[in-house]
Amino acid sequence: MEVFETKLPGLGVRYDIATTHGERLGVVVRRDGMREVVLYDPRDPDRSRAAFTVAPAEAAVLVELLGGSKLTERLVDLRQEVEGLAIEWVTLRDGSGLTGRTIGEGHIRSDTGASVVAVVRGPTSFPGPGPDFTFEAGDLVLVMGSAPSVDRAVELLAG
Amino acid sequence: MLAAGASADVLIELGIVLLVLAVIGRLAARIGIPSVPLYLVAGLMMGEGGLIPLDASDDFIRIGADVGVVLLLLLLGLEYSGQELRDGLRSHWTSGLVDIVTSAAPGVIAGLVLGWGTIATIVLGGVTYVSSSGIIAKLLGDLDRVGNRETPVVLSILVMEDLAMAVFLPILGVLLAGSGVVEGTLQVAAALGVVAIALIVSIHFGSHVSRLVWSRSREVLLLTILGLTFLVAGFAEEVHVSSAVGAFLIGVALSGAVAEDGRELVEPLRDVFGGLFFVFFGLQVDPGDLGPALVPAAIIGVASVVTKVGTGWWSAGRAGIGRGGRLRAGLSLVPRGEFSIVIAGLGVAQGLHADLGPLSAAYVLIMAIVGSLLMRFADDIPLRPRLEDPRGTV
Repeated sequence: MEVFETKLPGLGVRYDIATTHGERLGVVVRRDGMREVVLYDPRDPDRSRAAFTVAPAEAAVLVELLGGSKLTERLVDLRQEVEGLAIEWVTLRDGSGLTGRTIGEGHIRSDTGASVVAVVRGPTSFPGPGPDFTFEAGDLVLVMGSAPSVDRAVELLAG
Repeated sequence: MLAAGASADVLIELGIVLLVLAVIGRLAARIGIPSVPLYLVAGLMMGEGGLIPLDASDDFIRIGADVGVVLLLLLLGLEYSGQELRDGLRSHWTSGLVDIVTSAAPGVIAGLVLGWGTIATIVLGGVTYVSSSGIIAKLLGDLDRVGNRETPVVLSILVMEDLAMAVFLPILGVLLAGSGVVEGTLQVAAALGVVAIALIVSIHFGSHVSRLVWSRSREVLLLTILGLTFLVAGFAEEVHVSSAVGAFLIGVALSGAVAEDGRELVEPLRDVFGGLFFVFFGLQVDPGDLGPALVPAAIIGVASVVTKVGTGWWSAGRAGIGRGGRLRAGLSLVPRGEFSIVIAGLGVAQGLHADLGPLSAAYVLIMAIVGSLLMRFADDIPLRPRLEDPRGTV
């Protein structure tokens, strides 16, 4: 499939493709990083209508949903849910939530019902961390449980 | 140190002016027209004998307006990267040339017919030439036309106008300084040399300059950019080449990350001081002179609509755009605004023809409002469908 690139000086870049269904669509990547997906009017092929506009992070989610490549940025906040079982990744920010405290001190399991399944810290991962595991800023925490319990745990962790 | 009373007066006046602009800005957004013409009206209504007694000789508003021009031109220079300027020059120079000739013509002809001097005539040509990239870019976004196929044509003409300004402003600066032929020629040559250097720096050494100027701290970056700009603008003024030109060249020379971040940082400041500049320009025009200027301004306006639509129609046709898109491209070039006022302001500051201020103000008032309305309703203008147009059958 061919992708046509057109520069829009001062605004960004526009990419056009024609689908096998004969529709023409374009993606305008604006200078501020926002992406606008436009559809062309079949009666006036020069005229477009913005279908939707997404921020870079949202565009990454969209790419994943559309079956994008593995190379795209890892999504840390995409929730996956399998019949009553919810899994969510939470990033701990400096000075918030349970940063600097242990899993045990947080009473995550007893207060929320969800469990901390794994923690990823930089290049290393800690599968099944014990109650004396201390959270640090920047940790990526994988929480599992029922949807409402995961919600409460995320609130507690990221607060 | 100002006396306490004087300082209080300045703050109160500044507060009133900015609040009036804020109310007007809200109104403009509500009814969907650009704010620049309304700011001018605000300036016209203020001043001695006006609704708000404000004096154009007040230091604060004069200095604010000077800063406004500098920031407007800095952002104009920052708007396009050196790469975009080069690409534009390479592939759209014919459209740019057609645009210069046809769009400056209404102003130049009017200047000749009215019997104005050479320099005032050139200034008026500049006023009718330059489209308002601010109004146009905003409307393209608002009207959901950024993805349209004729939009790159419109934008490349704006890029060419930007480049033309880089040549025109220094020449105008020298002409306005009014030195002799020999000295003037030398000054023009020197000024154009500086423009060439700024462009070369931007295109070939942009990354080096960026690295030198850029800072992770937004505060430091803003201070560096503003410091550089005011310094160069001041020196340019010192050698009689208008501070606006100096600021514009700094904008052209900065590129890459500095330009990206700089634009974002300077924009809010530009809105404040640019607003003061439009008010200041309005203050210098006697509302009584505006009425008689409306008829000639409207005539020049009609001619300008025709030439800009012609330019856009022709350029879009060359890019293979259909009739609807060609009309939209043409109408999108009609709005005039901030830069017409800047050019007129340079002339008014030098005390050129007495009618220059009122005529330019009337012209921009008409063209900003009519131009944005034409852009908005471009698709409602019926075009005779042409049967042989292959696009019509799709």
